Amino acid sequence: MNVTFGDRDEMSPSVTGITPLPAAQSTSDEFLLNVGPQHPATHGVLRVVVTMDGEVVKDIVPHIGYVHRGLEKLFENRTYEQIIPFTDRTDYLSAIANNFAYVMGVERLLGLEVPKKVEYMRVLMAELNRIASHLLWLAAYGLDMGAFTPFLYAFRDREEIGAMIEEASGGRLTTNYFRVGGFVHELPKEFFPRLRKFIARFGKAVNELDTLLVENAIFVARTRGVGVIGRERAVSYGMTGPCLRASNAAFDVRRDMPYSIYPSLDFEIPVGRNGDTWDRSWVRIEEMRQSLAILRQAMDGFPEGDHRTRAPRNIEPPAGEVYSAVEGPRGEIGFYIVSDGTRKPYRVKMRKPSFSNFSALPEILRGNKIADLVAVMGSLDLVVPEIDR
Amino acid sequence: MRSAEEIRDALRGRFPGIETRPVDPALSVTVQPDALREHLVFLRDELAFDFLVFMTALDRPADGAVELVYRLFSRESRTSVVVRVRLPRDGARVPTVSDIYRTAEWHERETAELFGVEFAGHPDPRRLLLPDDLEGYPLRKDFMHPNLVRLPEVT
Repeated sequence: MNVTFGDRDEMSPSVTGITPLPAAQSTSDEFLLNVGPQHPATHGVLRVVVTMDGEVVKDIVPHIGYVHRGLEKLFENRTYEQIIPFTDRTDYLSAIANNFAYVMGVERLLGLEVPKKVEYMRVLMAELNRIASHLLWLAAYGLDMGAFTPFLYAFRDREEIGAMIEEASGGRLTTNYFRVGGFVHELPKEFFPRLRKFIARFGKAVNELDTLLVENAIFVARTRGVGVIGRERAVSYGMTGPCLRASNAAFDVRRDMPYSIYPSLDFEIPVGRNGDTWDRSWVRIEEMRQSLAILRQAMDGFPEGDHRTRAPRNIEPPAGEVYSAVEGPRGEIGFYIVSDGTRKPYRVKMRKPSFSNFSALPEILRGNKIADLVAVMGSLDLVVPEIDR
Repeated sequence: MRSAEEIRDALRGRFPGIETRPVDPALSVTVQPDALREHLVFLRDELAFDFLVFMTALDRPADGAVELVYRLFSRESRTSVVVRVRLPRDGARVPTVSDIYRTAEWHERETAELFGVEFAGHPDPRRLLLPDDLEGYPLRKDFMHPNLVRLPEVT
């Protein structure tokens, strides 16, 4: 297969999906603007082609697929165990949530019950992962908006989570931590003292970050009323996670498709009012507080028991299918696994939150100013490998 | 708040002879390609299935079929319904539902290029993930490519 560059016009209608009006019919300063695939505001490799009228965005066409690795095809040639590390690499900021969804799906196919302690360990890790991901979003979004200081504060706290996760799993980002049936090792001895210290300190740190960035007057001026999407549209676009909840729709997989020990935990689902860029930011800050409450409960109720159950050495689920979803930091992460009774899945479909969230970008951005493009895209918290898979 | 049984009965009342079976934890419904849009509109408007979680396809070369899978979720009743459509592998064609659920637009573009399914009436039928010059449909079971090397069988 040969791909030669320069033999076609990258801005031609067949490539961009936009047919510009002939100059004679155009009544204004309409022009096309290309952003990406290499651009600091995209946080990854994606491209948008914007039709502009002056500085107002008339239309916007997203282009994705630059890091498409064909993972779903690869999965069909891997055994069930071999797939776990791949799930990390779809979304490097929520590797644990991805492990969680996949492993839970395989366990459901097998009809395997895991011990209570495993569930607690999983929830602890998933919530730490959520805080770490939101902190990185906050750091990067601050930079996008010209605020450097929150980056340093957020990374200070994120470092602590990284150290805790590394101690338990051996990895910081792509942890490859969960196994079908439980975990390889117990939590390290120092984990709970460390977690206790972190919880005590981070409660204040969230307030600090809140006042430093989200309540900051300049930040509010740049984000209030910008990039609004209403509830009906957000639902129709399949948006999930903080992006949907900002639009006043209280949907959270942890509560609406209950899994693991979440039904027994007491936490709130923060919901925004207007569905604008500021609400999307506020919801994430509030979610960190809720995650902290979950961590506290899971730590206090942590049971005695085994850190794994007897899973078959060769995982050969009976023929059937399952869809297992968890609430990741960006929204609903789901694995649709179809088994034909062999050691390799017949088909695995990954339902990824960034894919649906990003598809709503034209709807959100139309009518806004071009300067808001960065503010809106950053507030969606996109992870590109997850969009392309 | 409707239960899965009530949803099944409502579907049977509206579409007599519909094929339903429970798939934990959802209800699975198989429909004809022509009736797909009608079913989805009914599910969305009458039974509050306002959320298309995802849509994808399964290649079934043994049956000579491509099976489309639409997974719907209702925030109101917190239940799921899986709508299936079986299409012949050659000339697989089904009407688009991207105007019923906006998220279907990208999911259908993806399914079209990966499985070779045509979505009639799609507003933007360009490729989504794959390069323009790739031939074949990668997620079909018989897809071959020089860069695709089979791993040795695990025993």
